[in-house]
Amino acid sequence: MKSLTINHLSKTYFDPYAAKHVTAVQDVSLDVPEGEFVAIVGPSGCGKTTILNMIAGFLPASGGDIIVDSRKVSGPGPDRGVVFQSHALFPWKTVLENVAFGPKMRGVGLKEREEIARDYLALAGLSHAAERYPNELSGGMQQRVGVVRALANEPAVLLMDEPFASVDAQTRMTLQEELTRIWQARRPTILFITHDVPEAVFLANRVVVLSKGRVLEEVEIDLPRPRSWDAMMDDERFKTLSARVLQLVRAA
Amino acid sequence: MSALAQVDAKPSMAWKRLRSALYFVFPLLCLVFIWEFTVRIFSVHPGVFPGVGAVLKAGAESIANGSLFLHIGASLARVLVGTILAVLVGVPLGILMGVSPGVSTILTPLFRFFSVLAGIAWIPIATLWFGYGFGAITFVIFNAVFFVVAYNTLLGVASIPPQLRNAAWSLGANRWDMLKEVLLPGALPNIVTGIRTGLGFAWRGLIAAEMIATNLGLGYMLFLARDFYRTELIVFGMIVIGILWLLIDRLVLAPLERRTIERWGLVR
Amino acid sequence: MSEAVAVNPALRLWSGYLRLVARHPVIGSVVPFLPLIALWAIVVEAGVFPRAFFPGPVDVFHSFVDLTRKGILPAYLADSIVRLAVGAAAGMVAGILLGLLVGLNERAHRALWPVLLFFQAIGDIAWLPLLIIWFGFGLETMTFVIVYTVLFPVVLNTVLGVRSIPLDLHRAAQSLGAPRWRILTEVVLPGALPNIITGLRNGLGYGWRALIAAEMIVGTSGVGFMMFDARRAGSVVEILLGMIILGLLWYAVDALILAPIERATGQRWGMVAR
Ligand SMILES: Nc1ncnc2c1ncn2[C@@H]1O[C@H](COP(=O)(O)OP(=O)(O)O)[C@@H](O)[C@H]1O
Ligand SMILES: [Mg+2]
Repeated sequence: MKSLTINHLSKTYFDPYAAKHVTAVQDVSLDVPEGEFVAIVGPSGCGKTTILNMIAGFLPASGGDIIVDSRKVSGPGPDRGVVFQSHALFPWKTVLENVAFGPKMRGVGLKEREEIARDYLALAGLSHAAERYPNELSGGMQQRVGVVRALANEPAVLLMDEPFASVDAQTRMTLQEELTRIWQARRPTILFITHDVPEAVFLANRVVVLSKGRVLEEVEIDLPRPRSWDAMMDDERFKTLSARVLQLVRAA
Repeated sequence: MSALAQVDAKPSMAWKRLRSALYFVFPLLCLVFIWEFTVRIFSVHPGVFPGVGAVLKAGAESIANGSLFLHIGASLARVLVGTILAVLVGVPLGILMGVSPGVSTILTPLFRFFSVLAGIAWIPIATLWFGYGFGAITFVIFNAVFFVVAYNTLLGVASIPPQLRNAAWSLGANRWDMLKEVLLPGALPNIVTGIRTGLGFAWRGLIAAEMIATNLGLGYMLFLARDFYRTELIVFGMIVIGILWLLIDRLVLAPLERRTIERWGLVR
Repeated sequence: MSEAVAVNPALRLWSGYLRLVARHPVIGSVVPFLPLIALWAIVVEAGVFPRAFFPGPVDVFHSFVDLTRKGILPAYLADSIVRLAVGAAAGMVAGILLGLLVGLNERAHRALWPVLLFFQAIGDIAWLPLLIIWFGFGLETMTFVIVYTVLFPVVLNTVLGVRSIPLDLHRAAQSLGAPRWRILTEVVLPGALPNIITGLRNGLGYGWRALIAAEMIVGTSGVGFMMFDARRAGSVVEILLGMIILGLLWYAVDALILAPIERATGQRWGMVAR
């Protein structure tokens, strides 16, 4: 089962300057079934990154469990692919080498892993950039490669922390459309984090609103797929759902 | 809220400083301990390496008879005179070269060549031209700092965006204003970096030159002690040299560089 | 209005020169020396200074040919280069290993960083008297000085490089399934490489000066020894020859070793660390 479940997750930081404990995440439970696209939205500082870093295994949890693929996890692992806001591509590797990195770590031979990488690059329309270095790409392309790199490792779940927050508005819309397209084609399990309400509603099957480290409410997004921004702009259902989520976030 | 946080933060900042000072000193104290321990356990011959006590005694002696301060004074005077002369000549020359792209195209390779040679390589010819003593050593210091400072000034002036110069012209600056208000401050971070690098070379050049060409100064003190196999005096001299350079670099040069570079956000 | 204004021939010459330099940068770093050498020759021929005290380019060239024919210069040059290469290689390997340890391990950093700064501050040349007592005027002394000199810039820069690798890159490698030692080879080493090369550049710059100083003070051969021997004999020509050779040697090291590595790594990756 390529699903993600978190039970009563919490995190307390120690702030050395104020010499006191700060609770960033409190008793969060969440279920992302196999092949589902769930988005967490909430204002800045509500604990989104903390949750994702715990799931990814970058931070130890103060309490609660994280279950991926029916196994309790602690520490980072290839079963959870991460897409970073800062793309985190290795500057000293070409695009192809970056995408082939996960298979390489699994011990896949050179020829085979390059084939895998080329397949995934083709999926995102990036074949022409395979031999380039990350710094030779535009911000949007870097972000695409980051997504492809995580996908090519075939993780049980894909964790994305505001991956499109630092690209320009037009590119962001294209990237969002591409992501829904890839999701429909491959049906990976995705947990997507953002502070951008329309983005969450456009992408996800379900939106979880987070407030001050707690889950405020979950909203089912029953919009038809494939989704495109041209269609969504005038879609009444999209407007009401966005308005509702926005209200929750603003009340948070 | 933020005012409160600042009040909270102040004592912990002082505490942090103290703690980082302790963190710095503690490993060095451990090192002194290991040194003494090793010398005793293996009963190292004092002619090979001295114990802590002998070094302290040699240090106390050289302080008591005043010779330490004579040597330090001589070394610092040479560094100071050489560096000041080098900056006084190097900065204007660097600016002159930097304002004209033609001149800098021609002179840059020459300065790169000479800044590569700077310092130690000039000792033989300096001692021939000036004889042994203050003149030759100060020339070596001057040389080590001059070319590096002039070259860095040139780079600094060349890297000032042309819009800044145009802005100053159109705001009514004359040539002198331009120099004072735009060129000098614009090149300052590079000048300071140049001084720091140049002094690094100069300090080594100083010690080498003093071993070869004088009868006063820290380098001479070390070399003289070698003649009598007085390792405790040599080690004491090395520690003095290390501490002096740390003080110069950490208390004068590094803060100066940080201030000019970070303050203006001119991180390069 | 549209009539072409006659271009000043001097300007035309200048722009021709600029275009030439843009196409062949080597010319740009050679041509400026021609007027300097000419000026030098004129001052010497004018007899402003006694010729033995201030010989001209022709004299230096004669001494170059003479010393080369006798085999002294090639032998000394080879000595210096071998010492530098051996010392630099050893210093670099030790420096990178130590730098990785100090950069990656917080405890090692706390314990060793102040010690490193202090030993760097003492400087190589101050060790010479003690080294002479220990090893005499030999190869060990010289090698120690160069290793010592190259070591510190490499260590300090490696630490800087290791610590400047963004946390997200470590995390990305971890979550793509890289075990610890793979992170060392795939993330830490390449990430620190531009800084390591900067360290090597500084280290070679210092190490090479230290070598000259050591050869002057304790040497029995090498370019530094040649210069200081010439000084004892009062032969300014050979001192000047030595200085020119030292300058050219650095150009060669820079153009043949350092610059190509820099072009192939940090500059290509867009992460130039300077
Ligand atoms: N390393 C840390 N130490 C102390 N407090 C932290 C740390 N990281 C985050 N926090 C605090 O935890 C809260 C949640 O942060 P974060 O998860 O980054 O929020 P978000 O990603 O939703 O903007 C914030 O109040 C933040 O100040
Ligand atoms: Mg965040």
